[in-house]
Formats: sequence, C-alpha cells, structure tokens
Amino acid sequence: MRRAVKSRIPGPIRFSSFHNVWEHLCVAEIDFPKRLVHCREVPRVLPKRMKSAVRLAAHAIVCLSIFALASQGQSQTYEGKQLVKAELLADTNAVVPSKPFTVGVLLRMAPSWHTYWKFSGDAGLPTQIKWNLPAGWKAGEIRWPIPLKTNDPGDIQTYGYQDEVLLMQELTPPGQIGNPSVTLSAEVNWLVCEKICIPGSANLRIELPTSTTNEPRNIDLFARYRRLLPQNFSSAKAATATWNHAGSDLRLKVVSSTLSNYPTIDFYPLPQGNTVVGHPSVESRTANEVILKIPIESPDKNLSAMPGLVVFSQQPNGNDRAAWELGPPIVAPAKVSVPARGIFTFLFFGFVGGFILNLMPCVLPVISLKIFGFIQQAGQSRQKILRSGLAFTSGIFAWFITLALLLIALKAAGRDVTWGGFQFTNAYFVLGLSVVVLVFALNLFGVFEISLPQSMTRGLLASSDRKDNLGSFFQGVFATVLATPCTAPFLGTAVGFAFTQSPAVILSMFLAIAAGMSAPYFLLSAQPAWLRFLPSSGPWMLHVKQFMGFLLLATLLFLLYVLGVQRGLDGAIWASCFLLVIAIACWMKGAFIVPTASVAKRMTSVVLMLALVIASGVYFIGDKFESAKIDIGQAQMAGDWQPFTPERLQAGRDQGRAVFIDFTAAWCLTCKFNEKSVLESAAVREAFQRHGVVKLKADWTNGDPVITKLLQQFGRPGVPLYVLYPGKSEEPIVFPELLTKSILLDKLETISTTVASQ
Amino acid sequence: MKLLLIAITVLVTGAVYPADVPPVGSAGPDFSAPDTNGKTHSLSQYKGKYVVLEWFNPECPFVKKHYGSDNMQKLQQEYTGKGVVWLTIDSNAPGTEGNITPDQAQKIMASWKTKQTALLLDPESKVARSYGAKNTPNMVVINPEGKIVYEGAIDSKASPNPADIPSSTNYVKAALDESLAGKSVSNPTTKPYGCSVKYK
Repeated sequence: MRRAVKSRIPGPIRFSSFHNVWEHLCVAEIDFPKRLVHCREVPRVLPKRMKSAVRLAAHAIVCLSIFALASQGQSQTYEGKQLVKAELLADTNAVVPSKPFTVGVLLRMAPSWHTYWKFSGDAGLPTQIKWNLPAGWKAGEIRWPIPLKTNDPGDIQTYGYQDEVLLMQELTPPGQIGNPSVTLSAEVNWLVCEKICIPGSANLRIELPTSTTNEPRNIDLFARYRRLLPQNFSSAKAATATWNHAGSDLRLKVVSSTLSNYPTIDFYPLPQGNTVVGHPSVESRTANEVILKIPIESPDKNLSAMPGLVVFSQQPNGNDRAAWELGPPIVAPAKVSVPARGIFTFLFFGFVGGFILNLMPCVLPVISLKIFGFIQQAGQSRQKILRSGLAFTSGIFAWFITLALLLIALKAAGRDVTWGGFQFTNAYFVLGLSVVVLVFALNLFGVFEISLPQSMTRGLLASSDRKDNLGSFFQGVFATVLATPCTAPFLGTAVGFAFTQSPAVILSMFLAIAAGMSAPYFLLSAQPAWLRFLPSSGPWMLHVKQFMGFLLLATLLFLLYVLGVQRGLDGAIWASCFLLVIAIACWMKGAFIVPTASVAKRMTSVVLMLALVIASGVYFIGDKFESAKIDIGQAQMAGDWQPFTPERLQAGRDQGRAVFIDFTAAWCLTCKFNEKSVLESAAVREAFQRHGVVKLKADWTNGDPVITKLLQQFGRPGVPLYVLYPGKSEEPIVFPELLTKSILLDKLETISTTVASQ
Repeated sequence: MKLLLIAITVLVTGAVYPADVPPVGSAGPDFSAPDTNGKTHSLSQYKGKYVVLEWFNPECPFVKKHYGSDNMQKLQQEYTGKGVVWLTIDSNAPGTEGNITPDQAQKIMASWKTKQTALLLDPESKVARSYGAKNTPNMVVINPEGKIVYEGAIDSKASPNPADIPSSTNYVKAALDESLAGKSVSNPTTKPYGCSVKYK
C-alpha cells in the first residue's frame, strides 16, 4: 500500500507532468496485479460521465481512489482532450474526533494548460472550493502553494499552476462523530487556460472511516506541496520589510541576509477589494536588500501597504522557490474608508478640545495667572489689552505649530507616532500615565506644590510685572507646554485622526486646537467688558482645584482597570504598590523639601525619596509587574463571541455566512458603551442569531499587530471599529463609531438574502 | 534618458506592448478602426456623445457569459436607445483564439442578436494597446468631452457563470446611469476580469 502510493508520485520536488503520472500509474498496476483485478471491478458503479473518459484514465482514477482511501476523481474534457483531472485527497487514513487533518484538492492539468492562484493577475480566475461538511466540522482557509508567474504577449502577467497543484485545507472534525465513516464533499470550480480558457467544475467526495487513531497517508505528495507554501513573514528571521509611497505607487524594501542566496526576487501582490495593481518590478538590488516597486492603478490614496508574497529563487519560476507572505491573509478588507465624520467635524473637535484644555489642572496655574492679569488690566486702554491678548494667543499658536511640525517631521521619517490608542496598548505607557495622574491629583489636593524652575518663575513674574507683549507671548507658550501632557485623553480621537492624514491636515488640526485654547483670551482681550462675567476669585477656586483632584483619581481608577485587563489582577496590584510609594514620595516632597528646612535635611529627604522610588520601581515594576502577564487570546469571551483571527473570518465567509467584527479594547470607553447598549441588547442579539452571523471580537487592548494591520486597512488609527462582512464577495460595511441599534438592525436585515442555507 | 531607453528597447525588440492604462479623467486616446462592413469609426467623430468600448472575444467563456444570458445585448439596447455609442472591439491577433474575419463577425452578430452601434475589428491590437486593454470583456466609458469616466470590469462578480449575473452589481450600467444623470461616477476604476486579449 505504502509503496503503491509512493510510486504514484514521481520525483520528490519536481512538478510531475501529466504523462509522467500516467506512466507511473501503469507501473503501479503492473507491480500490484491483485489490485488491478480489484480496480477492474469498480468501473461498473462509476457515474456515466466517467465512462466517456479515456479507458486508461478511468482505470487510473479508480485505482487512485482506492489507494487514496475511497476518494473520487473527476475529469474535465474538451473536444475529446482531457484538460484537468480533479481529486480529493487526505493526509490521513482515518478521522479522529476533534483532531485536525489536511485535505487537498489535487488538480492535474494537461501539458501547457494552467489553473490560477488566489490572485490570478491580469486575466484568469482563482480556483474556488466550496465545502459541504457535516454539522460541527470546520474548514480552514485554502493554503495556496507559491504560484508560477507567466508572461503572455501584450505584457499580460498571470499567476497560476502548470501540470499539477495541490490546494490544501485544514479540516477540524467535531468532538463526537456518530457514524463509522464520514463523507466529505466539495464543489470545486476552476478556470483552465492555454491559448483559450475553459471553465471546469467537479463535485469531489472523500470517504474516511472514523477511528480513535490514524496514520498519515499521501505523505510525499503533501510534503512536496507543504514545501511550496509561503512562510509567514513574521516568522522570517532577521528580515525587515518597510513600505513607502512613491507618487501613486507603493515601494517595498526588504532587508535580509537570506536574500543574498537568491539571484531572483519578485513580489506577487494580493490586492484587496477594488484595488487595481500593476506589475511589480525590482527597482534596486544589493546582496541583502531589495527595493520593489508596486504600481497602484486605482485611486487608493490611503493604501499604505499591500499583502503579497516576496518570492525568491535561483531562477524565475524555479522549483526551489520560497516565499514570505506579507500582510494578513484576509480576502477583502475593502477600500480604505475615510472615517464617517468629515474633516471639519474633527477640526471642530480640535477647537472644543483646545478650549477644554484651559480647564486642565496642568494649565490651571498659568490660567489663574493670566486671568489675574486680565482683572488687573481691566482699567487699561483697550488697545494695550488687545495687543497683550494677541501676543498671548500667538504664543499658544507658536507652540502648537512647533509641535505639529515636529510630528510631521517624525511621521515623514517613518516613525509610527500616534496619540492615544497606540500608546494605550502599551502597559508601561498606561503605568506612566497613572503615575502622572496621581502626582497631579496629589498636587491639586495640596500635598505638595510644584515649584517651577527659578529662571522660568522669574521670567513669568517679570513679564506679569512688565506686561510687555513678549512676556505675554512666552506666557502663551508656557501655558501650552504645561497643557501638552493633558491632551492625550481629551484630543485622542481628533489628533489620532489627524495622524493618519497629510501634513496639511495635521497642521490644521493643531491650529484648531490652538484656536480653541486661545479663544477665551482673545475674546476677553478684544472685549474686556466681558470680564465682568468672570467670577471673582476667592476660596471657591481652592475648592474647585481640590475637586478636580478627585476627578483625576477617578481617571486613575480607569487606568488601573486597563492595567488589570492587560496584566491581570496581580499586575494591577503591583502597579498600585508602586503608586503608593509615589504618593509617599510626593508627601515627603511637600512635608520636608521646603525652603524653610535646612539644606542637610532637604538633601537627606531627596536622597531618601529617590531611593524609595527607585527601589520600589525595580521591585514592583521591573520584577513583579513585568512578569505579571495574561494571555489575552485565552481571555474569557462573553456569550457567543469568538476571539478574532483572520482564519475565523475567512472560514465564516467561506461558509457563506455574514461575519461581524467588534474591534474593541479594555481602555476604550466608547467600545464598552456600544457593547453594553447595542451589541448585547436583546434585539441585536436576536438579529445576529436569526441571520446566523459569526460574531468575532478583535481585542486590541494589548495592541495585537494582526488587528493593528486590519485597523489600518480600514483607515483607522484605533478602536472602536465595527465591520460587517455581509457575504462572500461583498464589500464589508463599516459602521459609525457611535453605534446605534437602528443602524445595525437595518444593515442586518439587508443581508438576510445572502445568508447561506447552512 | 528613460524615454530614449524605452524607444531603443521598442526598436530593438520590435515589440510594442500596451501602454499603461490611461487613468480615469484623462482623455480617451483617439483611434480609428473598421467595422464589419469596412466602414471606419473613430473616437473623435463621436465627440459630444457618451461612448462605451467593450473588448470582445466570441470564444471566451466570460464574454459568452454575458452574451449567452442576453445581459450584454440588453445593456447595448438600453443605452444605444439613450443615444450612447456602443463600440464592441475584437483586438485578438490573427492566428489566436477569438480573431474573426468581417464575415464571421457578421454571422456572430446575427446569431447572437447583438445590439451595439458597431463591432470594430482591430487585428493589430492597436486600439487595445492604446487603452492598455488586457481582458475580454474590458469596459471603458467615455464622456461627451472625450474623457474616460469608467474603466474596468463589466460587473462585480468575477466568474464565467451566468447564474451570478442577477446578484452582481453592473459597474457599466452604474457608470452610465450616474453620468447620464449628471453625477460623477462613484466607482470609476475596477479590476477587469476575463480572458486575456490575445496580442501577437
């Protein structure tokens, strides 16, 4: 048996030609006369169309089907010529409940005819496999071997397979199988081309016994095609890939010492959605580095990268070819959609956010200074007040413009700078923010005072004394510098949006923030009479300040919750221990490091304070917090939600089911609100169930790179994002960030027609 | 320099490959080609009218999908009725599948009951090259000012199966309807699907 299977597969690596297969089959028959007899008895039960095939072919198929454990082959003939023979094979001899195994659709093409890869290129069509599996079975996505690239007259480039290909898929049986054997069937559709193209299809079946143990089958065949599968790029050692724009084209730079072994390097693109891709070409090449140009012919301005294979071999289409697969193996994350809100809405948010900055505790000291200044100025000439107000305003603008230019420069340098979201996925960023928030809260409570550097204080005092315009300008700069650490939580959405945009948009975003922040000063300096609407100073200011401290503590609670989700209860507790020490250090600063204390006492306090903070940092954070980790993938998923993986998305779509993805994170309050009020509401749950929607939760709390990539494909800098893939080949629907029941239910009703019978 | 290199390459190899696809919004390259009766049609003579270009190959299963189901004929009838000029172009080189003589073309038109303005024969693939056409069917819509407003596939489901037609979005119909209503085309570029144009 084993020998028979082996002899059927000619050569360990080479693609077997059509004729070779026949020769070897004959050998097999001669070698095993007993089986031949067995084979001859079977054709009687074959379907009629089989009999029309060449007699030898019929024999071969029958023998093959016996060798391959009751699989059935079918052939496509055209004008009397056999073009494609299709067959379903498994890499095992029996099905063991819940133990995954691999099946493969083996297509054998007549010489010089070819079928296509999952991206067919300028012409052609990918082969499709539709499974009809018993209940409880799951099918993985098709594993496509690295294809061959063909150039036809007229610069027509296609990607496909000649002679033979095995399209593998992982099948997972359910935990319990009632029957002694299972029949798995698949409808396979292909397009086979030489000079002309002929569509073909077959209903293939394979029957396997159920058992408690199994043994491998078709070992050589599966091994040969597994060697031809692309590797995941992330698993490639010491290789980097960077994407760049070059006009409307994309440029991919790959650096790796592996490349030096291969004279031929190419990129086989996998365009998504409606993207039309030109012919990739090598722009420059050194031993360890290659730059590939990938022309984009459709107007996808926001396209930042394209999935595909970096293929390397000794010569073009060589049998030694190997490849790295870049990008998520997801079919159609569709055109990049600009966030539903227009740019002006975001600029408005920037303005409002800037206005709110005035109320931030970080700016409070300067504000009171400035307001005090206004109150003093009330009696002066209007022109003078206006000029001083304008100077203060331009100080604010100057700082924000500097910041914007800095960020544009960083972005241009290719650094991934984003506010909010990206940092929130980093537990140490959250911890750092917790420390800052706690320190500010304690400051507001009056535990200690922040003493500004002497020179700055002097400058500020001098300027408020002299009230010259330059002083006002620097006060504006200073107020903004102090405000910067507070912008993250408040302007996250708006600035996050801006970072995915062009430099012009980034700049206008920051200008909007500056305008918002300076608006009250500008108005008051233009209309000093309005100052009377400002409440007079008094003890209420102290009370407001202390109350703000409690708001900051509430923020701290939220940050600790995020840490808890990222690092578990242990992580949150260790972080809290560190925070307690920070609080003690702050108290020491307020109690002992005061101008009235002696220098020696102050020095001792400083040393003690630093020692305490560093020691606890090393122990609580460097050791305990660092080692506290929980696996998000294993985290509990409420109800019928499944953790998102590209494979699950693909599997759901392959089954013709609609797939809904909830991109969420523990630190995202909007996400939590939407989940509670919409996704988990009775009406929506019922609608999901009725339409058989696969519900996937993409948890971005820890910044999973796969999810990051998908978010970028949808043009989002972060969560929340809600996407519904209605059917197999339809464009995904993107929902607004503030989800409502009615929007979701409306869309769910429109997909009812496309839901498969399953 | 780059142009010079290209020119030299072209001269040496003697091959003229299709130019890049002219982008949507640019002027559709002018051409002239004979129809099945030997009468010459050019793009410039139709200035002021919407023009549809449809690349054709009677042997191609993807073309057959749309003619066998009467889908293409219905589109041709509907839009020529609205004053649109519909030019079907066979750009397949002699000796390849789908290359047809004027006689064969007339027979196919009669038996398939096609409704286009004219079927142009482009055996030297000149028109196909100037539009970078790589597939049959490949569709191009040109507005009365001579600018390309749509190029790409005929519809959204890349398959040779006529049963997919009712559930697919017809991009050409959408582009023409939007253009005729004075709107801009919402989906101006798609990836065409089908057989390759058979160049020499």
